[in-house]
Formats: sequence, C-alpha cells, structure tokens
Amino acid sequence: MAAGAISVPLEVYRFDPAHDPAPRYDRYTVELEPHVPVLSALLKVRAEIDPTLTLRYSCRSAICGSCALQINSKSRLACETPVGPEIERHGRIVVEPMRNQPVLRDLVVDQGPFWHQYDRIDPHLRPDPAHPMPVDAPTSMSPEQVERFKETPRCIACAACFSACPAVEADPTFPGPMALAKLYRFVVDPRDGTTQDRLVRIQTEGLWLCLRCHLCTEACPKDVRPSERIRDLKEMAIAVQGATERGSRHAVGFKENIRVAGTLNETRLVRQTDGVVGMVGQLGQGLRIWRKKPELLHRPKPIQGQAEVDQIYEALDDAKGGP
Amino acid sequence: MLRHEVVVVGAGLAGQRAALAAIEAGRDVALLTKLHPLRSHSGAAQGGINAAVGAEDSVDTHIFDTVKGSDYLGDQDAIEFFCREAGPTVVEMEHFGTIFSRGPDGSLARRPFGGAHFPRTIYAADRTGLALLQALWERLGGEHLTLYEEWDLLRLIVRDGRVQGVVAFDRRRGTFEEIAAKAVVLATGPAGRIYARTTNAHSCTGDGIALAYEAGAALKDMEFVQFHPTALLESGILITEGARGEGGLLKNASGDRFMATYAPHVLELASRDVVSRAIVTEIGAGRGFSGPYGGYVHLELMHLGREKIESRLQEICDFARHFAGIDPVTQPIPVYPAQHYMMGGIGTDAKGATNVRGLYAAGEAACVSIHGANRLGGNSLLETLVFGKQAGLAAAAYADTAAAPEMHASDLDDATGPLRAWSAKPDGEDPSALRAEMQATMEQYVGIYRDEAGLLEGIRRIRALRARFGNVRVVDRSQVYNLNLTDALETGHMLELAEAIVVGAYARTESRGAHARTDFPKRDDAQWMRHTLASRGPEGPVLSYAPVGYTRWDPTERVY
Repeated sequence: MAAGAISVPLEVYRFDPAHDPAPRYDRYTVELEPHVPVLSALLKVRAEIDPTLTLRYSCRSAICGSCALQINSKSRLACETPVGPEIERHGRIVVEPMRNQPVLRDLVVDQGPFWHQYDRIDPHLRPDPAHPMPVDAPTSMSPEQVERFKETPRCIACAACFSACPAVEADPTFPGPMALAKLYRFVVDPRDGTTQDRLVRIQTEGLWLCLRCHLCTEACPKDVRPSERIRDLKEMAIAVQGATERGSRHAVGFKENIRVAGTLNETRLVRQTDGVVGMVGQLGQGLRIWRKKPELLHRPKPIQGQAEVDQIYEALDDAKGGP
Repeated sequence: MLRHEVVVVGAGLAGQRAALAAIEAGRDVALLTKLHPLRSHSGAAQGGINAAVGAEDSVDTHIFDTVKGSDYLGDQDAIEFFCREAGPTVVEMEHFGTIFSRGPDGSLARRPFGGAHFPRTIYAADRTGLALLQALWERLGGEHLTLYEEWDLLRLIVRDGRVQGVVAFDRRRGTFEEIAAKAVVLATGPAGRIYARTTNAHSCTGDGIALAYEAGAALKDMEFVQFHPTALLESGILITEGARGEGGLLKNASGDRFMATYAPHVLELASRDVVSRAIVTEIGAGRGFSGPYGGYVHLELMHLGREKIESRLQEICDFARHFAGIDPVTQPIPVYPAQHYMMGGIGTDAKGATNVRGLYAAGEAACVSIHGANRLGGNSLLETLVFGKQAGLAAAAYADTAAAPEMHASDLDDATGPLRAWSAKPDGEDPSALRAEMQATMEQYVGIYRDEAGLLEGIRRIRALRARFGNVRVVDRSQVYNLNLTDALETGHMLELAEAIVVGAYARTESRGAHARTDFPKRDDAQWMRHTLASRGPEGPVLSYAPVGYTRWDPTERVY
C-alpha cells in the first residue's frame, strides 16, 4: 500500500442484458490515496481484478464528457470525483450508471435519448441571409457579447444534468438541461439569424416543463448552470412573444397574482393560466380541492407588510425583470 | 455489406473536416469513430490555433518560425501552404460558429506562444479545441452523413494496390462489419498511450496508424515524440503553454527562473523540446523538487492575479484545483514533462495521400511533415483543419473516378479470425499487463533523452512484448461493449508503433528537435536532414529515408 493510501470499498452496478437475468452489485476493494479519482479506482479494478467491468472513459481530465456516472447517487464525472471525501461521507462508493438513459451494459448507457434532445433544438448556427458574414474576415464580436454566452461554451455534453433531471424522468418530451443550455448558446449568438424563431418554438416544445429544482446546476461539472440559462430563455421568450403560452401565462400570472395581496390566490391563478374557458376544464380538480381543503379556494386573508410587497414589486418593475 | 464512397475513420477535428470537404464535393460519406465525435481528443487542446493575422505579424514569419521550430526537418513547401491557409481556416471556423475570445475592439484575441516571434495564437479561453470541435460538429451535423459511432477499426482491405474498404467492430452490438469504400481517410489521432506519462486521452492508441502500417503504408519520422514541458504532476494532465504565454514562470527548487540558462532570450517561451529538456536537466542535477511521483518543477501563475487566471485559464484552474488540490491563484503548480504529441505518423503528401492508392490520412495520425522534429504550440489544431480538408478533397476526387471496390467473401473472416482466437483461449497474456510493461519500457528507454544502450534495450523489450502479445487472451465473453477486446486490439496496435518509434530512434544517430541522443548531441545535417520512412516487414520495421522539402530557408543553429 502506498504511503497515505486508504481502503476504498466499491459497490459497482453490473448488468449485461444479454446474459444476466437481473442487475447485481459487485464489491471490490482497492487501495488508493484519497485524492485519486473514482475513475482511477474503476480502472484499477479493470486492470487488476475484473477486466469485464465496462464503462466509458477517455480523457480523464473532465473535458471529453465520457465518464459521467452516479456516484453515491449523485450524477458526476468519475474522473474528477476523488475517492477520499466519498469514503468519509458514505463509508463506501456506490457506482451506478447514469439515469434517464437505458443501460447497455454495466455502467455504459445508451445516450440516444440525450442526443435526440440535443438534435431537437436545432444545434446549428443559422446565419441571417439578410446579414451575411463578412467576406474573408471574422465577425466582429465584443468581449461583452462573448460574455452573454455565460458559461455555456464550457458544456462537454457529459449528460450529468440529463441524468439528474426529474423533469426528464417525468416527461420524455422535456428537452432537458443540456439541450436548453445549448439552445441558449444559439439564442444569444449575434451571428444567428433565427433567435426569435428559436424562442417561439421552444415555448411549445418543452421550455416550461422545467421544474426549477436546479439539480442540473448542482450536477454540472463545468459550472454551465443550465437552470439559470433556462430561466433566461423563459424571460427572453416572454419578451419576444408575450405570455401567450400556458407556461408563460402561469409564470406571469403568478407574479401578478401575488402583487395584489402579497400571497397566492389559487383560484385566480387558474384563471390567469388557463383563462375563463380553461377554468371549466379544471372544475373537477376544483371540486376535489373544495372537499379536502376548502380554504385553498377562499380569497386569501390580507397579509401584514403589504407595503414591503409593494416595494419588492416596484424594484422588480424598475429592473424590468422577467416573469 | 455496407457501402460508401468515402469512409473517414476518426471524428476529431481532422476527420470531421475531411468528412465535410468530401460531402461538399458530392460524395456519400461515412464517419466511423470509436467515440462520440464530441468526445474526440481534439477537444482537449487548450492553448489555441496559430494564424498570422496581426498587423505586425506576417505569414512569412509564421513559416519561418515553423521551419525553425521543426529543426529544419519540416517540409518547407508544405509549411508555406499550411501557413497561408491559416487565416482563411480560422475565419471559416469563426463563421461556422466558434466562440473565440475577443479583444476590446471585437477582433480575435491573440496570445504569445513558444517559438513564435509574435502573439499569433488565437484562442477560446483555454479550451480552444473544445470550441472548435463544438462548432465543427454543429456545422457537420447539419449535413447528410452516416455516423458509425463507437465502432473500432479492425483492418484496411487493400488489394490490387488500392483500398477496397474496411472491416470494423460495432462495440454496442458486438458484431463485425464490412464497409466497402473507394477511399478511406484515417484521422485517428495519436498513440500517446504508448508512454506511461502522457497528456493524451486513454483513447489515443494509434489504431489508424498501426492499421495503415499493417496495410502497407509507410510511417514517417516516428522517432520524433514531443514531450510537453508542463503536465500536472502524477496525473499528467496538460497545463497549456498558454499559461506561460499569459506570463507564467518556471522555477526550480531554489526559486530560480532556470530557463534563463537554456533560452536566455525568450526564457519560458522557448520551443517545447528545449523547455522539456531544461526541466529534465534541472531535476537530474538535483535542482528540482522531489516526491512520490518523481521530480518536478513549479509553474507559477500567482503574480498574474486572480482575474486573469480565472478568466483566461479557467479550465486549467479547475484542473489544478480538482486533480492536484492546488489553487494556482495562491500556489505554484507542480509540473513535469510528459509525452504530448507525435510529430511522426502515416506518411502523406500535402494532399493527405499515402503511398497506398485510395488511402489518405490527416491530423496527428498523419505526417506531412509540417512539424518536422518538433511541433510549435498552436500549429496542431491548425494542421487538423487545413490538412483534414485537403485529405477530404483528395479522397473525394479520387473516389469520383475510382472503380467500384471489391471486397472478398474471405475478408471478414481473415480480419476477425485472430480476434476470435483471442477469446477462445483457456489461458494467455493479459492485454492490460502488456500495455503497462510497454508504457514503462518506452518511458525508461525512449523518453526525452536517449542513447544507444537504452534504445537497444528498448528494442529488445518491445520485441519480447510483441512476442508475448501473440498469446494475448480476451477473458470477456460478452457480445455487448466488450472493452476487454478493445484493450487487446489497442495494445496490439501500440506495440507495433512502439517498435517503429524505438527502431527509428536507434537508427538516427544525431540530436534534432525532440529526438535528443546523449551519445550524438549535435544535429547532423549532412547525414540526417532527411525523413525516416518505416515499412512493415516480417522481421519488424524496414527503414528507408526521403529528402526534406526545401524552398528558401537554409538550416542554421537553433537558438531561442
């Protein structure tokens, strides 16, 4: 054992659909220094204990995006997750394939669903024919314009965000965090001529399905912050099209709803989101709520400190904030 | 059987650019890769891409710097073409959507790089390769293209002196596949994993180079292996030359900027071979730091300030923090030289053509030769795009007039027979163990400094490993994603190339660029200003030599 090495117990998900009736967890123990990444632990297992352990990996420096896995239930890159803190926190390292993508074998998933969503947002620069790029010269772009991309150019398509996203799990039509962050990258690109079309299209193609849980931002190894870019896309979409979709009407309605009395009027929110006609469709739900929790349907009691609420809204209006 | 006019193998920048060129020329193109295109090793390139676009700079200076950097082994005619294409290539990539870093006036930002007279390296923070790879894939992805993703190339079918197609392995389904093709472009990248210490990805195993060699293509200048001066201690992760370009300093254990001794004019920004030798010399003389991972020196960035470090060197900041527990804003980064780049590769002309009809190569897998005995930083990204396009165009033009390829019924069995035998053995050699021994051998005997005794020992050991590889065994029996089979394939490829490297290094009794012989410390232009060509023979590599392309720069002593 090398100086300072610790014992690293691994429990690794194993499943070969062609041979195994069901998945199992194989246990291995390797000796490693605490700063060594989980990928090195798995490669040590492959080289010294079991060469049939199957995973994707390549650069080992967090730039190729191959080795995203679930490590103690968090979606992370194996190459930049040191073993020491995992052992300290959990006493062992449970390694499983990413979620929201079917397992091909062991830790290797079929990334088809992930790439399908990437393709759906039209990930191609579409210059405006009316404003052709300069001939034989680069487009001029100020450092401030480059700043507008935020951290999205850092995305390595590792799919850790896609794996962590509960909206992806709940609704396969949701593009997922990576695809939306990629969409943002095209929307803010001064060279792209289809910004408005992109924003209008995404309003009905899943933008508003985001649950705002920020698990994608927590999972992202490159600090791309997809949830923040999704929020930006929502603001931009409303700015372009107004609150014309159910999702955006709900968001704007929510804001205006609370403005009135500092607390949510549920009944009115339904009307704000779905309109009077839409409310009819929600009558059954309304009746169920009325039976179980009738107070939800009452006009909310006035709150103390309405003046402070007014101040918050004044500041919001001044900042020309989003929904 | 699958059938395409042009098959491009490898989907990094060179392969993608070749595919795009062949598609635009009207051919039916397939792109075959063992990774998803966006996971290619091109994405790991950090520092930037050279183009002489500044007012004070000129294409001629770029040409001269490249010729000098090559230690006069680069072909000057090809280098002239290469440098003239630089400006248009960068502009094209910008128009494709690359998000480059910008100067205050909206122009492309440039940084100084080693061996260059002017700041000529255009960049996207310290992830230029990723920025280019994303933009090119976004461009190519909109074209009609057949993608064979996560397929391993097994064999090139060459008959009647020309390429007829390839045999490949679909990892996910576990099936062997034939693809008939009029032309094949190899853009499979380097074989850095031949060495124990390398900045290269695990996937850099030289598959295309080895299979071209097996199919009769000559390998060129394989003995010239670049060691990057600043790899992160232990992991070998690359710390870009851009760190020195932005003002980073190299210091030994006494705190001295030792580069003053080795390159008094440009210090840290000398050419990579010069800086790597300086570091090894300092460590050897006891002036470096020492630790459980061997000797090292310090790369200091602290004086640049947090803002500059975190904006322009964002990725390496993350690397140092994650992989070494070092914060470069407040602490020096421990670095040592590690294998980084292969100047050599499949011998091609400036159109990407090899000595096998219908077979083309580009990028790090190829050797034109632009880089000669030592590559300058910022020239490899440029090479992938310039010569990727040329190879794609040439392959498309050839495929336009070539006769239909002829695959034989026996091709599939011939190519896959050995692999099936590996799996059928009850006992045999473990490919991972052979790989580890090869890496240690190359590190010890064919590293930065070389001599006759060491190289002879290297030849002996690599040949012994090759013999043992004849008895390699694959224990994994699964049809699905059998990485153990890939391990064996890759190890076999690397052993072939390791032999070509060490045999070429033994024969070259001079020191030039990255090839430093302690027993022959001087450059010998009279005898050795020529390219090594290695052809595969029954007893190992058969060497011959070819002249260097010359236009107007006479060799002089190389001083930085």
